[in-house]
Amino acid sequence: MALGLFSSFLSACLVFILWRVSYVALGRKSQPRRTRRRSDCSHLAVFLGSGGHTSEALTLLSALDFNRYSPRTYIISAGDNLSTSKAIALELSKAAGSAAHSGKNRCYTIMTIPRARQVHQPLYTTPVTAIQSLLACLYHVTVLPIATRTSFADVLVLNGPGTCFVLCLAVAINRIMGLPSPRLVYVESFARVRSLSISGKLLRPLVDRFVVQWPGLLRHYRRGEYLGWLV
Amino acid sequence: MSEPPCTPPPPAQSGPATESSPRGKHAFVTVGSTRFDALVHALQTDAVLAALHKRGISSLTVQGGEAVKEFSPEQLQAITASGSQYEIDVEAWAYKPTLQEDYERADLVISHAGSGTILDVLRLRKPLIVVPNSSLLDNHQQELADALADLGHLKTCTTDTLAQTIESLDISSLVPFPQFDGSRFREMLDDEMGYPPDESPD
Repeated sequence: MALGLFSSFLSACLVFILWRVSYVALGRKSQPRRTRRRSDCSHLAVFLGSGGHTSEALTLLSALDFNRYSPRTYIISAGDNLSTSKAIALELSKAAGSAAHSGKNRCYTIMTIPRARQVHQPLYTTPVTAIQSLLACLYHVTVLPIATRTSFADVLVLNGPGTCFVLCLAVAINRIMGLPSPRLVYVESFARVRSLSISGKLLRPLVDRFVVQWPGLLRHYRRGEYLGWLV
Repeated sequence: MSEPPCTPPPPAQSGPATESSPRGKHAFVTVGSTRFDALVHALQTDAVLAALHKRGISSLTVQGGEAVKEFSPEQLQAITASGSQYEIDVEAWAYKPTLQEDYERADLVISHAGSGTILDVLRLRKPLIVVPNSSLLDNHQQELADALADLGHLKTCTTDTLAQTIESLDISSLVPFPQFDGSRFREMLDDEMGYPPDESPD
């Protein structure tokens, strides 16, 4: 009897999880997009993947109205001090450019997560570091917002490399569980002319907006859009 | 990160005074943060130095990465000496904290195919020759250089054809690269977040 109850409970759970996974994986359009008024603020999070990824991501952000996209969270891999200082430099230059505005547009935080995989790290140890990285992402994206009854962010901008996939997985888990989740926007690098990057291929099915900067990159895919050079 | 120039003070100028000829132009070469010894070595060849000389280049700054670190003082002396044979002051650095000033000063930039470098140089409207590093496994850098060369924004070549490319470079034929336009990303993101378009009423 108890066993029967338990197994039916398990199968109910399984059906629920499968339903949620298919809802997230297939039914992206069923998640209604909120309409915002011009004066509404959105909490923006961006992953800075070091080197060229960081430069491109910050160039994209430099085009935004920081009064509208406020506050901002910069997500940086552990040890990537250069990305931290570049993010602070952008904030300073934006603040200098809008000195007349109120102090609220200067609100930003820097969040550090462990790398999913170091450069030159042997492949067989990658699962261990990737799981550590996923747990840290889940803490920030799922656990902390539940505990503090806040949301992680309204939109998450990604442009690679590896660790941003882990971040994206954490957001997907939120969606599977029906928790609030940010819109996911992926911008493929200016450097990708003829083929998508590995992170691009991995993230394309998971994100809400998939943007490339060279024509022809999407010829094999249905989803995604070409917007020309953005950086 | 910053290191002093590895060269001894430049030797006294030989040959005609700089103001009487179309000389005095500056060239800047960067290999970025990865090893690209083939490019550093190509710069020491007579063919490349002669081609730079023909273009009126009288000073050359090289950011050559690890290769420069490994040069012995004698090797550095030899590089300066071979430059002065072609009336070119050569200055070699391993790394520099920022390259922006070097780009701004240059009349010609020769670089690896890193996308950040390419964008920075083209935005300054400087003539650019890109030499993709064929020893890198991932060839998408080559794809970017080729695509931009097809559009006429830059020239691309190998270390073997660098001298001819410098010599035959027609700066007036290069197509100016568009300046940064952030509006498309901003409009896309505003649309994704459900904001009304700029011109429509709220």
